Amino acid sequence: MTAQLETPAPPDAPPRTPHRVPLWANPRVGLVVLLVALVVLFSVLRPAFLNTRLTLTPLQSDISVYLVVGLAQLSVLSLGHMNMAVGRMAATSAFTMGLVHDKLGAGLVLSLIAGLAVGALLGALAGLIISRTGVNSFVVTLAMDFALAGLITILYSGVTGGVAFPTMPAGMSELRSDTFADYCIGDVCGPRVPLVVPFAILAALLVGLLFRFSRLGREILMTGANQRAAELSGIPTKDRIVQAHAVSGLLAALGGFLLAANNGAFSASLGDSFLLPSFLAPVLGGTLLAGGAVSVLGTALGAALTQVIYKGLNLLQFQLDQLQLYIGLVLLAALSLDRARHVLAERRGNRA
Amino acid sequence: MTLTATQRSTLPGRHLWQAPEFTLAVIAVAGFAALAVATGGNLLSAGTLGAFFRFLAVPIVIGLSQMVVLAVGQMNLSVGALTGFCAMAAAWLMLEAGLPAPLAVLAALLLGLFAGVTNGVLVVLTRINGFIVTLATMTIIQGLRYGVNGPDTFQGYSPGLREFGRASILGLPAVFLVALAVAALVALFFSRTVPGRHLLASGGSPFAARLSGISNDRSLIVAHGLSGLLAGVAAVLTVAASGSVNATIGDDLLLPSFAAPIIGGVALTGGMVSVTGTLLAAFLVRLVDVMQAQFGINPRWVDLIIGAVVLGAVLLGTVRTKLQERSD
Amino acid sequence: MLLAENLVKTFPGVRALDGVSLTLRPGSVHALLGENGAGKSTLVKLLTGVYRPDGGRITFDGDERHFAGPLDAQRAGIGVVHQERNLIPAFSVAENIVLHHLPSRGGRLDKRRMRAEAVRCLELLQVELDPDTPVSRLSVAQAQLVEIAKALSLDTKVLLLDEPTASLTGDEADRLYSVVRRLRDAGHAVALVSHKLEEVFAVADTVTVLRDGRSVAQDAPLTGYTQAQVVDLMVGRAFASIALPTRTVDGEVTPALQLSDVSTALGHRGISLVVRPGEILGLYGLVGAGRSELAKAVLGLERITSGTVLIHGRPARIRTVGEALHRYRIGYVTEDRKGEGLFLDQPVSRNIAVTVWRRLARAGLVRDRGERELAGTYADRLGIRISSPRQPAGQLSGGNQQKVSLAKWLAAECDILIVDEPTVGIDVRTKAAFHELIAGLAADGLALLLISSDLPETVGLADRIAVMNDLRIVGELANDHDYPRMSQQIIRLIHTAETVSAA
Repeated sequence: MTAQLETPAPPDAPPRTPHRVPLWANPRVGLVVLLVALVVLFSVLRPAFLNTRLTLTPLQSDISVYLVVGLAQLSVLSLGHMNMAVGRMAATSAFTMGLVHDKLGAGLVLSLIAGLAVGALLGALAGLIISRTGVNSFVVTLAMDFALAGLITILYSGVTGGVAFPTMPAGMSELRSDTFADYCIGDVCGPRVPLVVPFAILAALLVGLLFRFSRLGREILMTGANQRAAELSGIPTKDRIVQAHAVSGLLAALGGFLLAANNGAFSASLGDSFLLPSFLAPVLGGTLLAGGAVSVLGTALGAALTQVIYKGLNLLQFQLDQLQLYIGLVLLAALSLDRARHVLAERRGNRA
Repeated sequence: MTLTATQRSTLPGRHLWQAPEFTLAVIAVAGFAALAVATGGNLLSAGTLGAFFRFLAVPIVIGLSQMVVLAVGQMNLSVGALTGFCAMAAAWLMLEAGLPAPLAVLAALLLGLFAGVTNGVLVVLTRINGFIVTLATMTIIQGLRYGVNGPDTFQGYSPGLREFGRASILGLPAVFLVALAVAALVALFFSRTVPGRHLLASGGSPFAARLSGISNDRSLIVAHGLSGLLAGVAAVLTVAASGSVNATIGDDLLLPSFAAPIIGGVALTGGMVSVTGTLLAAFLVRLVDVMQAQFGINPRWVDLIIGAVVLGAVLLGTVRTKLQERSD
Repeated sequence: MLLAENLVKTFPGVRALDGVSLTLRPGSVHALLGENGAGKSTLVKLLTGVYRPDGGRITFDGDERHFAGPLDAQRAGIGVVHQERNLIPAFSVAENIVLHHLPSRGGRLDKRRMRAEAVRCLELLQVELDPDTPVSRLSVAQAQLVEIAKALSLDTKVLLLDEPTASLTGDEADRLYSVVRRLRDAGHAVALVSHKLEEVFAVADTVTVLRDGRSVAQDAPLTGYTQAQVVDLMVGRAFASIALPTRTVDGEVTPALQLSDVSTALGHRGISLVVRPGEILGLYGLVGAGRSELAKAVLGLERITSGTVLIHGRPARIRTVGEALHRYRIGYVTEDRKGEGLFLDQPVSRNIAVTVWRRLARAGLVRDRGERELAGTYADRLGIRISSPRQPAGQLSGGNQQKVSLAKWLAAECDILIVDEPTVGIDVRTKAAFHELIAGLAADGLALLLISSDLPETVGLADRIAVMNDLRIVGELANDHDYPRMSQQIIRLIHTAETVSAA
């Protein structure tokens, strides 16, 4: 959009020393500082913020859900794409989990696997349409969001006669209420960490591994960085687009599962609130929409920051909707800081 | 830019019936007629028809609001929240600040314009994708919208304004006529004013526009500003037509704001607009809505159908282009 | 009269123009010649306010001018047709012509005045075009005429044409030049930048030749030169012959790449080529002859409709670049370095390793260290100057970028390399190093297909030269590296072919 007349590349300028970005300008460091500062602030204002059972444990559950949802968005941001259907993919997958359990009597693991498979398939379908037609991912996934939103309610009312499944697989309620502190070997009990947390950590590790070390992940990133060059370097870019969207659908499904565990039901409205946080976490963490670069750690910090703000302001008796204002301001500040960092880095680069 | 060797031959003149708007118009008319027949003429009764068009006004204007930024290849996620915020602000000005209705209306419009210009300036200054910038401003505006009156509802403001919201001229609701007039102005802006043409030029080929002395930055700011102003118009129409407003206004407008221009044939890449297409698409969506209400269908079918229609349109468009390429 | 004196323009690290002067007189066509990267386009952009000069001055009818931007220059009466297409496809002919200064009355676009002005400009050109037609419906030649009309709006006195015929056929170019002559006769000053010497000699009166940002011939009457003399001026004797160690190619060995009678969906007909291991086949032709497209057809990116492709003697049907790379070990160094060759924001190490992750990966995982070692190896071998393998490719200079773009194919151990315009936009010294590198690769036994529009480069490097024109091979020559003779033969091949196809 804001194309500039490009100055031709200097034919043979001396190689620049890569400007080492100062530590304070690293967006991740900024997030950590902000996170710590907010935790301290909230704890001082409301000591209840440090109450493990009332605040910290639910906070961890929430962060887990939104980390996974953020990762679902991150998977396609790596391509420079978007997934506007992230919430409905989660809901459709959750419906599948409920269906497989409620009607077929499958257990927790089998239900989860079925749901994840449906999520991955939905994502792959979106990716397939995008890569074959060349239509903007925004349009395709937005249309898919509409279609799935309709489908979900119809399916729920058709199958359950309501908006939620009456039963949950065995083990779901433990996932909801238990922490590792409830499981002891002799006298040694686990920390007060909810059981859903390992799911999120595992997902983050796997996504990190995917984009950091795997050939698949790297080829997805290269496709996002410059699809034409990727194609000409022998990367099957269309396949990579399908795979990245499938990963996004899979993670959305996992996010839906974790939220269902937290809520205690597979319901039709599940995932309604996923869309914005799915962008907030990666974008706060420094992943922009351009494609070609992602930050899993940043996404984790972004998810944590958002949830801490929600929880903290909630304790300070701010109304939920009012919190939006502060989240938005933090996002805007983070973006401006990132921009300032860029400008600064460029100036240094030019001087060197 | 798009003139490549394969497109050497002069394309045949496009006939009216080949225009995507024509297809939409045929579907709209046929759908409307079918619905009229199916409801045994009930649709054509004054009350039903009035309601049909009254609740078409806001979707039209909000669709245009999104279309204006799509014209420069941007998106505005804040349209819905902004509409809600402007509506709440207008109601507050009338009820709490005691401002007369015309001043409150003017203030709502200015507020929308200001928020839009702010979006544009932020996009230009930060050089960050408009999607993300408006994502941030959207969340901020959502907070502000709530801040006006918390969870409470404003009602009982200016009888004149509410009267206007219910009024009909020649059997058509006044708010719908306002929406049509706004659409006409937007169409005029893009076809007949210099800033409008510049905006389309920037959206279509920023590079060529720049070499022709057009400021792409200014086009971005104008587009976002206009988008905000139209959100302000949508707010005023909401305040007039609904008789009461609260902080949830606008939550359900974001996705339809994209659906109308996209179904109407507006490309996300920028450089082209279709006011007629957007109008017709909004009409179609409303038609499906009414159909659902008339027959007591699960309202979710509406979403399913709209989603399927957009996906179908996308696929059809691709197939058509491919066929055309092959026949060349 | 437009007078530029001692213009200097420096981009970071390179002096693009170094004291160049130019005089454009009313009623005269002035040719501006030079090789790629000699500074022609930079000069045009200085004269039209796109760039601002770092030194020297521009006077127009006696007054010194400092143009703030393209619009400013046009208002002063200097119109330009840039090399890039600058029309808005969806807009009408009329609107595109007056886009700089859309007339309005009371805030409304004055369509009548817009149309009248457009018609006036089109009449100046004596071109019959409906001003209401959208530009997207015009042919390339028609669009080019609209570009000229656009440059003529606002009472233009000086017209700069940068490669106006690059995408036109012979006939279309003739028609365009008849328009140029008419403008000259009407008292316009015209500057013409073109690679096609034939056309230049047919239409221009005076000439300025640029080489490496300096003028080697300034404001000289064109009648004093032959085409060959101008070519010598452009390339410079010193660089005309590239002194490289002689290689001997075994003519008996099975060709690494052989095309026989290949036709493509893009219109290539009956293409036959042979490239043997250790050999450089030069594929020479003008821009638009269809050489890069042929390369892409070999890689499976364009459809081959008939004929056979043999790789090491075995028929190959290549459908994807991945197949070309992994199965047949064919690499393609693209001409569009930034658009197709590199991932500018990504580290150099990844830019090089992108083709070999398959090999570097253990159980699907790639270690950064392996990647960086690989990058280091090739940086050393090709002399790529990087401060760290983590440096983004976009930060490198053009020459180093080009080496990175080549390195990924060497890393993939390709034995057939298609090198497309390897030295475009690279300065003379780096160019020489690059030529040595390419010759070295052939000496190592690689089969190279060198696509180039750079005549001295082709004659200096290739063992044989195939000449391509208008999607056909019009002749193949054994190269004896005698530059004057080879260049004349090649130019004759292209021009005789052109008259044949025009007839």
